[in-house]
Amino acid sequence: MNMDKNGIILKIENISKRFEGVHALDGVSFSVKKGQIKALIGPNGAGKTTMLNVISGLVPPDKGNIYFKDNDITGQPPNIIASLGMGRTFQLIRLFTINEATVMDNLLIGASLTLKPGILKSIFLSGRVKRQETKLKDKALEILNFVGLSGKEGVLPSALSFGNQRLVELARALMMDPKMLVLDEPASGLNDMEVENFKGLLLSLKDRGITMLIVEHNMKLVMDIADDIVVLDFGKKLAEGSPKEVCANPEVIAAYLGTKDKNGDGVLCSK
Amino acid sequence: MNIMERLKKAWWILPAVILGIIPLIFKEKSAYVSGILIFAGIYIILAVGLDLLMGYAGQISVGHASFFAIGAYSSAILTVKYGISPLLAMFFGMFLSGLIAWIIGRPVLALKEYYLAMATLAFNEIVITLIIEIEWLTGGASGLKNIPSFSLFGFTMKNNLHYYYFVWFVVFLVVAMTIAIVKSPMGRTLIAIHSDEVAARTFGINSTKYKTGIFVLVNVFASVAGSLYAHYMGFIAPDDFGVSTSVNMLVMLFLGGFGTIYGPAIGALFLKILPELTYFFQDYELLINGVILIIVLVFMPKGMYGIFVAMKRKIGFSRE
Repeated sequence: MNMDKNGIILKIENISKRFEGVHALDGVSFSVKKGQIKALIGPNGAGKTTMLNVISGLVPPDKGNIYFKDNDITGQPPNIIASLGMGRTFQLIRLFTINEATVMDNLLIGASLTLKPGILKSIFLSGRVKRQETKLKDKALEILNFVGLSGKEGVLPSALSFGNQRLVELARALMMDPKMLVLDEPASGLNDMEVENFKGLLLSLKDRGITMLIVEHNMKLVMDIADDIVVLDFGKKLAEGSPKEVCANPEVIAAYLGTKDKNGDGVLCSK
Repeated sequence: MNIMERLKKAWWILPAVILGIIPLIFKEKSAYVSGILIFAGIYIILAVGLDLLMGYAGQISVGHASFFAIGAYSSAILTVKYGISPLLAMFFGMFLSGLIAWIIGRPVLALKEYYLAMATLAFNEIVITLIIEIEWLTGGASGLKNIPSFSLFGFTMKNNLHYYYFVWFVVFLVVAMTIAIVKSPMGRTLIAIHSDEVAARTFGINSTKYKTGIFVLVNVFASVAGSLYAHYMGFIAPDDFGVSTSVNMLVMLFLGGFGTIYGPAIGALFLKILPELTYFFQDYELLINGVILIIVLVFMPKGMYGIFVAMKRKIGFSRE
């Protein structure tokens, strides 16, 4: 199999996952093309977050295979999958806060794959480590500038607004130079202005060649940025295609009928 | 590098000078004073290691005395029963402790919080029980005596002063290594694992490897402390290394300031000097210790080191 030739970066094959009798995922297959933004949508409990956790290695699948950049990553631990170039953010913000860790500390932890910390290294090669760290600090400042958080590097994450904490999460994931970003509801809890800002960031990351798989409830955001959409319902794939195709799919409309999105609009694809 | 950074790098000079001249100041009382400070030094090695494990990596241990025991008994058995040189015996103890820590580290550190606390507590009990039961080797409950003095390249440590300078040299070495670790990306990695292990792993951090590595290191530290203790005392018994000793180390940690490295060192120093100052109230020693701990925990959640930091900020000495 050569995924590279077909321009596919991530391939999900027939993934199933059960949690105590519940089929969280039931034979789901889809693939993500290099450089695109793919959205994973579906009603609550459809298995979206489980899918992301399976992809990033936090939860092993019961059945099926996952390939990332031509590597079989099925059942691999998250640190190995990360080392292949997959970054992710979380639905509930998970920044590092112990021992008064600052925004800069969080970003530098994001660069662990470059820094390769070690006990003996920190004792005997402290000079070399310091120089490498200085370079990465410059990079961190650049990334903070990119997400619009210049000057916040010394701040504790808890002192930032919720929206800004989400930006720190994104910045931290960018520190690992990901080939692909997996984003779990990046817009949840953001106000309209912040969503617009986030949208701009994601689009410019796409311009830089970063592939994205994004789970999102904010349909306006999804319709605006997604090249391709996969719809899950009760752990099964309901539909896959461009935003237009998905909107026109009667099964999708049926699945969403009567459900309301966060804004209470009750429509999947408003014009 | 500016002056502030240079000063920060030379943190050790002032305490080193003070500790260096203490025996000179106390003159005829110097054997007594250095005796107290030897114990304090040994406990600083233990407390600083425990802080690296708990305050940084977030891995609870209620059995830190177990490797203190393994180090002490390695040194005692090898020198008393097999006539091996103290330095070699100490290295053997370090190796053995590291090996045992590496073997039990993976399964034990897979546990979290209360379960990890229980497992380390149980390990402490297992070590003590083994020491008591394997009597032919360890001397059982009555302990091992006549442990020879420590000697280094033909120089035998005959009095408190010799031990004093040697122990404190090791203390500075251990603290310097620990500070180097926490100030480096390694320290940040431990903080990440402590904060949110799952998130840490999604940045490529192999948390199992790092947790095991730091567990091995701090237990090698504890083993060194044990060797120093055995040679200085000349006599050891299982009681010295029980769970109550482990709990004592935890008290030093919280009293001094959890997760600050310098704090637990201050806590250990304080708790080892305090009984000497309150000598006249000997019967109430435990009571006084308890009251101080409660006062510190209630009014200074960041421990005694937290007061120093607050004072530094007030004078505007800190850069933040």
